Amino acid sequence: MSSKINALTKSIWVFHVSAGSCNNCDIEILDLFTPRHDVERFGIQLVGSVRHADALLITGAMNKKAVPRMKKIYEQAPKPCVVVAVGQCALSRHMFRYSYNVDEPLDKILPVDLYIPGCPPKPEAMIDGIVKLVNKLKGKK
Amino acid sequence: MKIKETIKEKLGKKIISWEEKSSRRIYFSVDKSDVYETVRLLFKDLGLRFSTASGMQTPAGFEILYHFSFDQAGELYSLRVEINDKERPEIDAITPLFPAAEWVEREIWEMLGINFKGHPNLKRLLLADDWPDDKYPLRRSS
Repeated sequence: MSSKINALTKSIWVFHVSAGSCNNCDIEILDLFTPRHDVERFGIQLVGSVRHADALLITGAMNKKAVPRMKKIYEQAPKPCVVVAVGQCALSRHMFRYSYNVDEPLDKILPVDLYIPGCPPKPEAMIDGIVKLVNKLKGKK
Repeated sequence: MKIKETIKEKLGKKIISWEEKSSRRIYFSVDKSDVYETVRLLFKDLGLRFSTASGMQTPAGFEILYHFSFDQAGELYSLRVEINDKERPEIDAITPLFPAAEWVEREIWEMLGINFKGHPNLKRLLLADDWPDDKYPLRRSS
């Protein structure tokens, strides 16, 4: 495991992108930082700029206007960078599959490392996903 | 109470239909050539609040509902206007009366392709910049 990947598993700084979400996933993400779940005790933190981020947390159904902006954001992220798709819309476009404004799902646009399904996913599901991802990066089973 | 009577009195025969779903939920329709005058009566003379407008496609063409709220009594007046033209629908803009209608008319224009005559700033609001000009996403494909 390279030192860069190792650094990713320690305290993950997260940049949260909404690419046309209905705000429900975003509310559940904010729930992670409330005292009940409090992922900051693991060093996971929301940051204000993507240039500080280790991971991108993407919600929403990738509408036509959001896609070029999201690609720009991904280019600005320091690599290696983990991309997490949160919610059914980011996974598969969900109910917007045949919409005029949504062309392709997120994993056709960016390399996605972790999928968290649900509409919206529970905070527990997100914590579970992140733990699995960290273990995978460390090479554990 | 008073609002209802005033509308009926001022508009008279211009009202094509009048329907009260309940005492505080009123739908009425006028011809599309009278829409500017009617909206001016509702907004400027009677002081109703413009809540929003909604457009939709009907078998005969298009219809726009202008929703006005009378907050003191909790009454909601919906002005229904039918546009019986499937290809090139047109109607007078109400934006010159009050700027609150500008964005909703732009949205109806780009989604349904209804042309608002006299709109000061009829350009794209929500769709992507490279969206083709002759396609309207909320129109039924024929």
